[in-house]
Amino acid sequence: MSVKELTKTPPCSDTSLSNYLWSDKPDENKWADCVHCGMCLESCPTYELTGQEQHSPRGRVHLIKSVAEGKLEVNEQFMDPVYACLDCRACTTACPADVDVGGLIEEARGQIRQAMPLKGWKGMISKTFLEGLFPHPNRLNTLGGMLKFYQKSGVQTLVRKTGLINVMPKHLVEMEAIMPEIKQSVRKKYKNEEIIKAKGETKHEVSMLTGCVMDVMFGEINDATINVLTRNGNDVVIPKNQTCCGALHVHSGDREMGRKLAKQNIEAFKDSEKVIVNAAGCGCMMKDYPELFHEDPEWRAKAEEFSDKVDDISKYLYDTGYEKPKAEVNTRITYHDACHLAHGQGVREEPRDLLLNIPGVEMVHMTDSDRCCGSAGIYNITNPEMAGAVLESKMQNVPDDVEMISMGNPGCMLQMAMGVQKYGKNQRVVHTVQLLDWAYQKENQQKEGE
Amino acid sequence: MGTKKLKTKDPHIKALARLVSGPNGILYHKEDLIAYDCDGFTLHKHLPKAVVFPKDTDEVAGLVKYCSDHGLPFLARGAGTGLSGGAIPINGEVIISLVRMKKLLSVDLENRRAVVQPGFVNLKLTNSISDKGYYYAPDPSSQYCCTIGGNVAENAGGAHCLKYGVTTNHILGLEVVLPGGDIIEIGHNGIPDVPGYDLLGLLTGSEGTLGIVTKITVRILKSPEAKQTVLAYFDRVEDGSQAVSDIISKGIVPAALEMMDKIAIEGVEAAAFPVGHPKDIEALLLIEVDGISAGIDEQIHQILEVCRTRNVREVKVAQDELERGRWWANRKTGFGAMGAISPDYLVQDGVIPRSRLPEVLKKINGISEKYGLRIANIFHAGDGNLHPLVLFDARIKGETDKALKAGSECLKACADAGGSITGEHGVGIEKKEEMRFVFNDDEIIAQSNIREVFNSHNLLNAGKLFPSPGRCVEIKRELKAQQEAVGS
Repeated sequence: MSVKELTKTPPCSDTSLSNYLWSDKPDENKWADCVHCGMCLESCPTYELTGQEQHSPRGRVHLIKSVAEGKLEVNEQFMDPVYACLDCRACTTACPADVDVGGLIEEARGQIRQAMPLKGWKGMISKTFLEGLFPHPNRLNTLGGMLKFYQKSGVQTLVRKTGLINVMPKHLVEMEAIMPEIKQSVRKKYKNEEIIKAKGETKHEVSMLTGCVMDVMFGEINDATINVLTRNGNDVVIPKNQTCCGALHVHSGDREMGRKLAKQNIEAFKDSEKVIVNAAGCGCMMKDYPELFHEDPEWRAKAEEFSDKVDDISKYLYDTGYEKPKAEVNTRITYHDACHLAHGQGVREEPRDLLLNIPGVEMVHMTDSDRCCGSAGIYNITNPEMAGAVLESKMQNVPDDVEMISMGNPGCMLQMAMGVQKYGKNQRVVHTVQLLDWAYQKENQQKEGE
Repeated sequence: MGTKKLKTKDPHIKALARLVSGPNGILYHKEDLIAYDCDGFTLHKHLPKAVVFPKDTDEVAGLVKYCSDHGLPFLARGAGTGLSGGAIPINGEVIISLVRMKKLLSVDLENRRAVVQPGFVNLKLTNSISDKGYYYAPDPSSQYCCTIGGNVAENAGGAHCLKYGVTTNHILGLEVVLPGGDIIEIGHNGIPDVPGYDLLGLLTGSEGTLGIVTKITVRILKSPEAKQTVLAYFDRVEDGSQAVSDIISKGIVPAALEMMDKIAIEGVEAAAFPVGHPKDIEALLLIEVDGISAGIDEQIHQILEVCRTRNVREVKVAQDELERGRWWANRKTGFGAMGAISPDYLVQDGVIPRSRLPEVLKKINGISEKYGLRIANIFHAGDGNLHPLVLFDARIKGETDKALKAGSECLKACADAGGSITGEHGVGIEKKEEMRFVFNDDEIIAQSNIREVFNSHNLLNAGKLFPSPGRCVEIKRELKAQQEAVGS
């Protein structure tokens, strides 16, 4: 029997009532914090939509605890509420006792995934994307190239015109429609450079996580990130051995893969003082690495050291200071708080500060700006119906009279762009650093013109 | 979220499912039901038979009629944030969840009233009308998520009820599905002095034992022109307590007058919304005055004077709305915050005459020592509503029982001081035996008789609010026997 098969067998030494049979069990200290007060209910998008408590944070915590108490088993019925969670972490903001609901959900998913490996098309998607694609930069680049070919070669037009698109599931059609135009990946662009030097005097050296979706689908945002960093006196290093942050694997219950990727990143960035991330989901995951190693003190310590170095680009610029652009970008915008930025990392004011310091930018408040858009990693692929309903209520809150919606996460950008398309709106979806970069570019052009 | 196919042979489940039209309108799998085995009171748990989600009054009436006709026990549930177990299905009830009935039906600013469905969340009402300068006054700490239907059932109070009154003072009309399935309207939407019995008063606070409320007309108020909030730290509970009495005797009616003791402060400071209160003070007061702008400053001046006279260590006025918001978030999440310093807590809800606070707190300290359990105190000091929070760990054998006993003794201390056993959380299953601290048998029977008029088959939320009638009668018989023995 191979080692792999061995790990698939639950240990039988456990004599407690618990129905969690695998290692890396949901941590009882996490649910001990929950006193069932219900303050989380209204913050939860799935509770709002269903009105059902098994789809609420405290309900899920109660269920997870019930399995440990032997009252429930790990089965399909248990899986449904645990996997319907968007992982948006809004409940952690609402919770008076700081219960780590997100951590519990992910630990429970880890148990479910081991007890009941994925089957059907969800299993296929999970295998293709999570195991076969995201951890492999080269394959991602190939995919990027293919997407680029798809867009540029006319195949896209052909697929759309011939009605070939109609055989795809509806939510995938909607996604295809908003696929961003593929630009060059920065990992490719800077593959021969050790350090991208600051413009002017060097004040700091930072490392950058390029991300997987970000670099392939939104290469220009990585470009913009490098521009604003170098513009503000930062040398930028892109460590070669970095890999996918593992967020999507961990959300889907594959914590083993999550740990593997985490270790690789901790190693890849071990010489870095600061790790800059421009994707809220990745940043949040990397700040959560210690949780992945809650049963492994040695790696937990390394993960803690690492996670202290991780900062979202907006927070980093806000904390270390940045030059206010001088050129005007006259536009009305609104800001959407990515869950993993606002709830996951407590970063709310910093991106707003960046945007408001761009001359000519007028910010319109979005009601419930920190409500999930439904993207939630690949939730919009695996739970399209719920994700669609969450998106619908999000889009109702987008003010009509704005030209752009700014945010700090690629997943949200894809989802919001889909919302704009689907609900006949016309706002442009942008990343916060893109706006800042545009303002700098404009300033440069004006200077050159003088 | 498409409706899943039913997988059951139970004819009742099938029949109930046909009576609700929304997607996934019924839950009956154990894995789903377990989320409904308790509410904000977690010491008793029981699985419901099913949970149903009606979308309107007619569906509620249909469900109630079915349960009534088939002898199925049932009860109504809102957000399930109640703290006395009023929504726990101790008889394996069919839970009629009203959370999908969450519309704001109308707002009538001219006549200062609004009509809501029972599942409408308390704070959303204020949020929906605040831009027009109005608000809904009752503000239980759970207002972020509790429903107005639940507030009616429990006659909920809140920090600002000192000046503005509790839920019953703000209810103008109700649509009610009676336990047999008939629909009635009471209160006639706020016409003063309706002839006949005051059913509105009776239904409000009846803890879901007389009927299920499906539409509520509430009073809304003009937002106060000005508002000021004071935070005061005291080294001695006696000083804080005396300051409370002094403020009231000066003729000031604060909108809110809240107190927290040392352990409560430890809890809120360890939790998600810390303010930075000093850890070594014995008591803090949070005092808010509101009204027309003229006069507010004078009131604040008087309050500061009182605090200084009573040896306050530090006293400050909130500088802006942000600071005021932080102070209130810290206070209003006080119960949940206990999770940060204890795995479980039991919150009690006694009422005492304000002046007796130092003495009652001493007794509570004694109870805490007796059982070896820490007890935090959060206190609506202005109206004498005391919340001792008994901290315990249910995983330790016997500690839950100890907590229950300690809680009960706290209530006894309140009743003995001339107070009562509940100010705003209701009796539910938690305090039904303690009803004897404040009512004699005849008084309890008089009230149980009213329940029987409405709820004659006792299918609706049975076993709550009063000590069970059987026991009541037994005790009465026993008493009678004793008296006869003494007499002879």
